Amino acid sequence: MDSIKKKSNFIKIFIICLMVIFLLTGMGCKGLFFIPGASYGYYVWEDKQDSIHIQWSIDRRESEFNGWVATDGKISNYDLLEWEAEDKVGINSEKNKIEFDAALSENDYSDEIVVSVTDYSYLEFELKINDGYDLSRTNLGEFLNSPDGGIFKIEKGYFDNLKKVPWYQKHPWSGFFYKLSTDILFTLIFIFILGIVAIEIIRITIIRRNRKYNWYLILLYGVLILVDFGVYLFLTKLSFI
Amino acid sequence: MKVKLFFRKIGSFIVTKEILEDKKLSILLYKYFLIGLLIRLTLLPFFFQRDILSTYQRAAQTVFGGVLGADFQQFVTHIIHSAYLFAIKPFIPALENLSGILLNADSWASWIDFNNFQFVYRTLALFKFPYLILDIACMFLVMRLLYDTQPLKRLKVFKYWALNPLVIFVTYLFARHDIIGICVTIVALLLAKYRKKYWAIVVIAVAIAIRFFPIMILPLLIIYLARKKRDYIILFSIGIAGLIGIETFSHLYFGRSVIFSLLNTQHFDYMLSAKLDLIIHDAIFIFIVAYIILLLSFLHQKKKTFTLFLSYCGAVYLLYVSLCYFHPQYLMWAIPFIILIFVRKNSLYYYHLAQFCLLMLVLIYWGDLVTKFIFAPVDIRYALYSTGIIPIINRFYNPVKFVNIFRSVFTAVSLWMIYLIYRDNRDSQLADRGVGN
Repeated sequence: MDSIKKKSNFIKIFIICLMVIFLLTGMGCKGLFFIPGASYGYYVWEDKQDSIHIQWSIDRRESEFNGWVATDGKISNYDLLEWEAEDKVGINSEKNKIEFDAALSENDYSDEIVVSVTDYSYLEFELKINDGYDLSRTNLGEFLNSPDGGIFKIEKGYFDNLKKVPWYQKHPWSGFFYKLSTDILFTLIFIFILGIVAIEIIRITIIRRNRKYNWYLILLYGVLILVDFGVYLFLTKLSFI
Repeated sequence: MKVKLFFRKIGSFIVTKEILEDKKLSILLYKYFLIGLLIRLTLLPFFFQRDILSTYQRAAQTVFGGVLGADFQQFVTHIIHSAYLFAIKPFIPALENLSGILLNADSWASWIDFNNFQFVYRTLALFKFPYLILDIACMFLVMRLLYDTQPLKRLKVFKYWALNPLVIFVTYLFARHDIIGICVTIVALLLAKYRKKYWAIVVIAVAIAIRFFPIMILPLLIIYLARKKRDYIILFSIGIAGLIGIETFSHLYFGRSVIFSLLNTQHFDYMLSAKLDLIIHDAIFIFIVAYIILLLSFLHQKKKTFTLFLSYCGAVYLLYVSLCYFHPQYLMWAIPFIILIFVRKNSLYYYHLAQFCLLMLVLIYWGDLVTKFIFAPVDIRYALYSTGIIPIINRFYNPVKFVNIFRSVFTAVSLWMIYLIYRDNRDSQLADRGVGN
């Protein structure tokens, strides 16, 4: 009975951990997780067919999203999703620039353009919200991976390269580890104190009556020193920006 | 041998003699303490709500700017924080940066800069450290309030405080300073328990000067302690002495009234938020009606035991959060009283857990500042630009209605808890009479 209970507790903890990781990383199947009608900003990503998706959403407020996407290749096709009659879109005669101007409102949660581009080396964007730039709300391939300027370029293969960026350089981990690394002394002391408390809990619950009590205690403190050293290496040898 | 005796005496002083002499209980107490401590320490450096920054910003005005009266409404709390900030200065690197952030009058900019401050984790840990010490003090003090000859029950009280989700949330995630006032209030209650009536009232007056919430239990304490009519006058005079002292100081030093300033703040209006409009100007404030009924009920109890007094105190704070607009930390004032009843009436504990869960939902409507911004020190951009809970609810349903449905359930649960406390009191009195017969 006890083992069944322990197993079910373990499964529960595992599911909770998965949910927390999912929420923290903000990842969905398209690489970007957002809720149309609640999330606010532009979301740009590439699908498996190499089409580029530009979707925008706001928290049920009247807003205007306008801009353009240009390329040195050809826009072979484009699809409009959740598009309304008043929303405008146009492609130039060279078929290398597509412009849009679309509004969202209380009951219009989001709009999306899916662009298929061939023979290109770069894509250029200008994405505005209410006729201004809000760069932190423009997410390229990943949440909070924002451009540096109002008009920005991305090279072909940009989204594939993005997948190679290690997890610790992505939000929110990057900010968290960066601050831990800048105050390394505090971090190591803090982890050591937490470790001592955790070892004390193990000591009085699990190993208290064990014949190899002293050995286990030495082992636990050895592990703690190793963990602290590992954290030190992790925070000092890696870059989080 | 002498050393051993010395440590035994210290042990008895901290955990009580009965628990120390029972090996099983003392190990259990140590385990609960360590688990509670581990949770608290883990949360210490990483989370905060804007209020703690405001508290230390005002303290910074005193420490770095030399302005003593930066917070004249909570002057004692302000002085405590100022003295502490002065004491921890040597432990904060880049102190000039921090003082610049704290002295920035633009609250939004200072909040962003504080979250981006490279030593934010160390600073937050230091800011909250006195709360941890007082919280630990509360753990060991609160179990002494009742159950003198029942160490197992005392241990349970300890557990209910050490692992209480609300205490942990308010003090370490929300980072509110209510624990200071609560700790002083518990000391006052212990003095009352041992019939040190004047000291009890003096200490509760200090608690009132720190935070105004203990004023709600001051009349109950006076009724409990007074044996003669004269006692009522003396105890009431001492009780409000703290307030008068602060008022006098405020007049002399700042040239304005702290009491009227507080009465005119929105916080006092919270107490009057639930009302029954009659006709023309006539209205009945529901909390005041219910509070006076509770007070009269206690006054007319023939046998005013300490247990009964504590139960009434718990009921008062539960009543407040049931009927008035409140902030999450206000509910914490009920904890020292209701955990004592959990030991006798376990069902009440489950209702308290329900209360906590409902509070997490009610909290949503206070917006980003008390929800996703609490996690801003981890990564401020993530906190700023991730989707808030209100827009998510608003996508599917009216968030005001959503939150108020849970608010209503919260009120129902809290009122039911008061009823359970009343029933527990009645049962105890009946049992006492039975024993007496």
